[in-house]
Amino acid sequence: MINAHLRKALSKQTWQPAIRDWLKNTLATGLINLTALVVSGLFVWLLSDVVLHGLPKLSWGFVFDAPRNAGRAGGIAPIIVSTSWILLVAIAAAAPLGLATAVLLTEFTRPASRFGRCVEASVGVLAGVPSIVFGLFGNAFFCVYLKLGFSILSGGLTLACMVLPILIHTAVEGLRAAPDEYRQAAAALGMSRSAALLHLLIPAAAPALLAGLLLGIGRAGAETAALIFTSGYVDRMPGSWLDSGRALSVHIYDLSMNVAGGDANAYASALVLIVLLLTINSLAMALTQHWLHKKMIRL
Amino acid sequence: MKKIGLIAILILIGFITWSVRQQPNNLQATSAANESTSKLVLTGSSTVAPLAAEIGKRFEALHPEVRIDVQTGGSSRGVNDARSGLADIGMASRALKADETDLQAQTIALDGIGIILHSSNPVATLDKQQIIDIYTGKIVNWQAVGGRDAPITVVNKAEGRSTLELFLQFFGLKNTDVKPQVVIGDNQQGIKTVSGNPDAIGYVSIGSAEYEAEHGVAIKLLPLDGIAASVENVRNQSFPLSRPLNLVTKTAPTGLIKTFIDFAHSEQVDDLIAAQYFVAVPR
Repeated sequence: MINAHLRKALSKQTWQPAIRDWLKNTLATGLINLTALVVSGLFVWLLSDVVLHGLPKLSWGFVFDAPRNAGRAGGIAPIIVSTSWILLVAIAAAAPLGLATAVLLTEFTRPASRFGRCVEASVGVLAGVPSIVFGLFGNAFFCVYLKLGFSILSGGLTLACMVLPILIHTAVEGLRAAPDEYRQAAAALGMSRSAALLHLLIPAAAPALLAGLLLGIGRAGAETAALIFTSGYVDRMPGSWLDSGRALSVHIYDLSMNVAGGDANAYASALVLIVLLLTINSLAMALTQHWLHKKMIRL
Repeated sequence: MKKIGLIAILILIGFITWSVRQQPNNLQATSAANESTSKLVLTGSSTVAPLAAEIGKRFEALHPEVRIDVQTGGSSRGVNDARSGLADIGMASRALKADETDLQAQTIALDGIGIILHSSNPVATLDKQQIIDIYTGKIVNWQAVGGRDAPITVVNKAEGRSTLELFLQFFGLKNTDVKPQVVIGDNQQGIKTVSGNPDAIGYVSIGSAEYEAEHGVAIKLLPLDGIAASVENVRNQSFPLSRPLNLVTKTAPTGLIKTFIDFAHSEQVDDLIAAQYFVAVPR
């Protein structure tokens, strides 16, 4: 209503379109800036909350000690080790499978074929499954049916199932974005398909593959529901991949929701988790940069 | 480049064969666990789990050849896993029900359940009928029980939680009668929900509520039937709403399972029980 009135009043005089445009532009810019501010403000607020509460508790002792008194005292060394193992198992299992599926979908099947559509649809469905369902499936399949018990292996493989759709999806997007000229030129030069894939297409898709990998690691590292029933609750230093090991996210959840007086250490653990994920991310990015650079020189 | 790929594939194959090779050993370990050679698996109540894990650590220190693995999932799961043999010992934060008498339970500690309000709430006491009316939605405003004019936020526990079962049983309610605004899971979540909402009412474990209230969290415990909700009154068993924390086994415990349960029931763990804000059983 008001808008319509305003527009009417404004359009009566000839000099007003200029003002109207100026108003529109300022408003649009302002809104966009506000959105950016809200998004980054949210991030800063979240991070500063964790840093402010977590930093006083954080020390070398906290990182290298075992938890005591249900995690209220002591550190989180075994939990960091378990988390790293779980992530490693998850990525080691999911990355090759995800890349292979993406290659199959983009290079060896036509997008319109029934098989390709079936695979893509099932990946889409898998991406929408809530993590607690993965947890229950992982518990029933890996822990009970395959008799792996509550173990790092069960937890990692459950997470692998969970991040697989992300990896496949981003890898497919990346490979599809590689120009067809590459494939044609490779064929014209008599390169084998695997050589073209290895030397042209995968390097071309590398940024997308990396983005998918980082998203996957991020999702896996933040996962609680899928892990509490698979890798379990034991906060001892894991001796093998068949030992139960508590993940950082499970530890944070337990300290904040189940253990009275565990908040301070929950914040410190959250800070460690954030730092761990950031380190993995920057490491992966640096590695890819390095690798791409070498590749370009050789090309 | 080819070399790196080859190495990666070799590592992957090595990983897979290693895990497959390990599997038979693991099978043996799980079947042998019943004869209690080296590893005890406990599953169940999230309330008991931190205590059981601490008792387990002390037990491991005394018996270096033994490993105690504690997993959570709720009391019902503890009972089911103990019955199915998936766990050596189940943890339940309630007494066994009538249809669970085929199992054996050993109480290792007591826990009281208290009604909590936000500390700014002027209401100092509620009688049984008032609490029932609030939880069934007959009273929806604090004014009706002498408080300020504000709608009541009823915080209830999720299905399958033993705190819920105990609460319902004590007040003679069915879960379908309860009209909650918030449904929560673990204990600390209840404390956080009520401390963050001046008009909320909830019920949580007394020990941790007492600890949090002493440490400046904005909650207060209400007396029940005129008896103050305190650890002391749970210990002398005068507080009416309390529950046992049980270790459940399928058959009368023998061997290592018996050693562990006896240890968990001895005065050697009294300090651990107090550290988790529970109450040691009178022996």
